[in-house]
Amino acid sequence: MVKASSPPDEKNAAPAATSPARRAPASRPPGGRGHAAKSLPYLLVAPLAVFIIGLALVPAAFTIIESFYRVNPLDPPTRFDGLGNFRRLFANSAVLTSFGNTAGYVIVGVVLSTVLGIFFAVVLRRPFRGRGLLIAVLILPWALPGVVEGILWTGIYDANTGLMNGVLSSLHLASHGSVLLGDNRWLTIFLIELVQVWQITPLSTLLVLASMQLMPEELFEAAAIDGCGSWQSFWRITLPLARPGIAVAVVQALIVTLNVFDQPYVLNGAATTGSSITEQTYFISFQNLDFGGGYALSLLITLITLIVSLVVVRAVYRRVDY
Amino acid sequence: MRQRGNLARSVGFALVLIWSLVPIYWSLKTSLETEANASAQNYVPLHPTLGNYAALLTRSGDLPGQIRRAALNMVIECGAATIVTVVLATLAAYAFARMKFRGSQTLFYAVLATMAFPAYTTLIPLYRIMSDFQLVNTYTGIVLVYVSGFLPLATWVLHNYFVNMPIGLEEAALIDGASRLRVLRYIVLPLAMPGIISVALITFLFAWAQFLFPLVLSTDSSTQPLTVVIAALQGRHVVPSTLLNAAGVLAIAVPALLALAFNRYIVNGLLAGSNR
Repeated sequence: MVKASSPPDEKNAAPAATSPARRAPASRPPGGRGHAAKSLPYLLVAPLAVFIIGLALVPAAFTIIESFYRVNPLDPPTRFDGLGNFRRLFANSAVLTSFGNTAGYVIVGVVLSTVLGIFFAVVLRRPFRGRGLLIAVLILPWALPGVVEGILWTGIYDANTGLMNGVLSSLHLASHGSVLLGDNRWLTIFLIELVQVWQITPLSTLLVLASMQLMPEELFEAAAIDGCGSWQSFWRITLPLARPGIAVAVVQALIVTLNVFDQPYVLNGAATTGSSITEQTYFISFQNLDFGGGYALSLLITLITLIVSLVVVRAVYRRVDY
Repeated sequence: MRQRGNLARSVGFALVLIWSLVPIYWSLKTSLETEANASAQNYVPLHPTLGNYAALLTRSGDLPGQIRRAALNMVIECGAATIVTVVLATLAAYAFARMKFRGSQTLFYAVLATMAFPAYTTLIPLYRIMSDFQLVNTYTGIVLVYVSGFLPLATWVLHNYFVNMPIGLEEAALIDGASRLRVLRYIVLPLAMPGIISVALITFLFAWAQFLFPLVLSTDSSTQPLTVVIAALQGRHVVPSTLLNAAGVLAIAVPALLALAFNRYIVNGLLAGSNR
């Protein structure tokens, strides 16, 4: 595992993989049925297999197994604890609050990113001059790190120098210097999630747009001839036919909002007002060093993510044939 | 009717621009102001200055030194992770797409299955593995974790790309006696270059955005990327927001330019990766 992959080792690994097969054409018939050619696919996938097994499957097994163990460097040794970790999680008020908060993040994030994604996709559906540029600008927020986006939006939400307060107070909608973050729980969650919505809406837009571009134009022409207005054809034709794209967009939004960390961490720090489940996992494991509790919470959020994604795919996804 | 359509389109166009650009503009504006001048009442910087950038890039001292080190760390970690991921994913994806071998299906489904799990499922075990192997606070540790995280998607996208490429040329070359690796090098790679560029860009951007993994795996400034350092500065009130925003603009400059310059590749890669 360690051997296969640091960048300098990589350079050594590549020629090593080439040498057995380079001999093949000279001594073997075309295409090489020989020993070297037979082992080639295994050589090609070996590094991937090592990474997947060593750094994905084994750790995932760790998470599942050790969530039933007491794992704490300050309280050795590691020992079986049954459902002890889960019991302690459900007795921890910060964890319980984070479940509610995360539900808030998910609802705001999934609804807003999907609605905005559909809206932007409709704007971008037909070709027009400057469309390429608009798509380039659209994907910008997707490409930026969530942490820095938190910094960007801190500047917008800041009570004194923020753009939002500046605009609100010049419209006389809020008094200058009113605190936006950290005061009211649901306002805090809404504003923090808006930052993540900013990040994930581009992908939702692209996914919905891709499914819209499969729709034959004649369908809309026929509908228009039959007296179908553009609003009506959106609800009756575009939306139902875009369901596969919308389903994927909803699922990807669900997965990232259920696991939100960067935005609340930067915008809200350790405050429980808006802390997410992933933040609690981090605090429990790396500040309290209760790894067992962290494992248990990781397992819960993983199960929730898998189940909710499956349910949504079943509910929203419909195969579309033209 | 036509008039109304055009108006709606223009409004939509403007909304996309405002939504995507205002937060970036506001940070850029703040980074060009001096601490004393920063105010919500000005929508353009009153006396624009590059002083904050000069302070970060040229001045000596703890903070600028830390920012420069973090920027270098980030380039090294993201660059290395991208190169390793793309090379390994290309080799494996080609094998999955074009060669028959025992266990290929099992391994391929295992790769796909890891994509269904949220990334943070393995945060704690990965930290403990890295700490057992003395790889906390090393580039190797971070790069290993990044590669393990990005390989499944990269392999999946490239596999789909290879499968959809015409196989005729490859077969002809094989019959003419070329080895598999020559075919891969001289026929498949050039044809697949757009797909490989897409995968490289997406991997690099994913790596650039990482925060929680390096936060856990880098506990000192020797390997901390810019994201971790900036988040740590944000909590400290001694760092003025003008300077913080300048650091933020430095951190988004690279991904923003990549996204603007190569948006077609990124869009194609993202769409190829989402159809599972």
